[in-house]
Amino acid sequence: MLLNFERLGWLKYVLLGITLLTALFLLLPIIFIAALSFGSSQWLIFPPPGWTLKWYSDLLADPRWLSSAWTSFRIAAIVTVLSVLLGLVTSFGLVRGRFLFRKTLRALFLTPMILPVVVLAVALYAFFLKIGLNGTMTGFVISHLVLALPFSILSISNALERFDKSIEDAAVLCGASPLEAKIRVTLPAISHGIFSAAIFSFLTSWDEVVVAIFMSSPTLQTLPVKVWATLRQDLTPVVAAASTLLILLTVILMALFALVRKGLKS
Amino acid sequence: MPSFVALPEVATVKRREFRSTLPALLFLALFFVVPVIALLLRSVLEPQPGLQNYVELLGSSTYLKVFFNTFMVSAVVTIVSLTIGFPVAWTLAIMPSRWAAIVFAILLLSMWTNLLARTYAWMVLLQRTGLINKMLMGMGLIDKPLALVNNLTGVTIGMTYIMLPFIILPLYGTIRKIDPAILQAAALCGANRWQALTRVLLPLTVPGMAAGALMVFVMSLGYFVTPALLGGTSNMMLAELIAQFVQSLVNWGMGGAAALVLLVVTLALYAVQLRIVGNESEGGR
Repeated sequence: MLLNFERLGWLKYVLLGITLLTALFLLLPIIFIAALSFGSSQWLIFPPPGWTLKWYSDLLADPRWLSSAWTSFRIAAIVTVLSVLLGLVTSFGLVRGRFLFRKTLRALFLTPMILPVVVLAVALYAFFLKIGLNGTMTGFVISHLVLALPFSILSISNALERFDKSIEDAAVLCGASPLEAKIRVTLPAISHGIFSAAIFSFLTSWDEVVVAIFMSSPTLQTLPVKVWATLRQDLTPVVAAASTLLILLTVILMALFALVRKGLKS
Repeated sequence: MPSFVALPEVATVKRREFRSTLPALLFLALFFVVPVIALLLRSVLEPQPGLQNYVELLGSSTYLKVFFNTFMVSAVVTIVSLTIGFPVAWTLAIMPSRWAAIVFAILLLSMWTNLLARTYAWMVLLQRTGLINKMLMGMGLIDKPLALVNNLTGVTIGMTYIMLPFIILPLYGTIRKIDPAILQAAALCGANRWQALTRVLLPLTVPGMAAGALMVFVMSLGYFVTPALLGGTSNMMLAELIAQFVQSLVNWGMGGAAALVLLVVTLALYAVQLRIVGNESEGGR
């Protein structure tokens, strides 16, 4: 039986072998980078001749790394707040409204997800050059919001679709104002959607590099742009240290995400 | 879903709901639709009105090579991801859930890890003195290091790594939806394993494979970071060409024309994918 694991026979071992190799292939670069960031070889020799924290102290000693990380964080934080708020308001309209072209509108809201990022980057670059937003914080926030908003609308409207509106109506019947009912009844019920919207929006902005390359100026750089610019010059182990910190952040966010989902289920 | 109570002025409430989509609509119109259309218009307006940018783009062998590279790399990445992805998705769908959870965690970790970090790892792994070359030489498979980076081989390896989860996850969903009883029925009717695989399991997963493959192909066509870092300067892909037109050559007409080609191909393939996914969910249980 091809869909019964226990009755696959020898095929079971073939499939398990392929899966194991693929899992190793996916894991290899991540572990490799983390190991190299502690290796003492300037030329990234593996296995490293010795172990050191030099690359981390180099990273923390260079104010440009820290300031680009701070810039990235500020942009991602503002984008997250705006994306969740706008996503929330829009989702209520998309899910609850019964107007013409609702599906078309929904498709339009999701297009930035499928459009090649480089096209958006070049288009916004041209536009911002004209209106003087290039190399500014506002320019970064606007362009990352275009990319983050679809994820936010998607997660919040999915949560809202599964929420039974009659509960909100019941609150109104019991004397709550419509706004009060939305805030005190509906919002807590769809909080997992809001939470995923926030995480996706944050990561979209924090990890984004293509648009950021076009938006950045010598004085305003995000962390991915700093990594990009460094990589174009040489393969210094400092980038391995920076990458490892980024991987650590991913693991923390993933764990947080899993915890919240578990907490919601129980 | 019908409301529990009929609130008064339902029609006005629903019209008001439409109004709440206006801020986002306005935002996307101003910072998404207008800039993209303006860019595309420049391809027929600059340096003078006409189609000369398209004639140059589609007529010169330099640019045709970029198109060829882009389609070849995307096609190879799609085929390799599908070949590896199908058995992995199949295993995930039927293996004990405790083991599957570990593989899923690895898939998600790899997907969520910063793209530049992953690409950097491959730059180091694939370089002349890198681990992959060392291992191959240690096993006696090659005498001198292979050129695995700064060419399309490097781009293909790096992109396959990135795209694998995007094909495994949807395929897993497709295989999970197949009723095992169908395969039991095939066995009862006398089908051997090979027949059950080629005549029952594979045909049932074709819609999922087609949807996943198209998505990976479309994403690969427009990829910028990985080709720029793992590829060489002589083997450009389409997204890099667009960036180069705008950044180094400041030729907005040609940049707009190349962007339009990428956009049209992307949207056309995406429409095909939507149809496949739509048909699948209508035909499914």
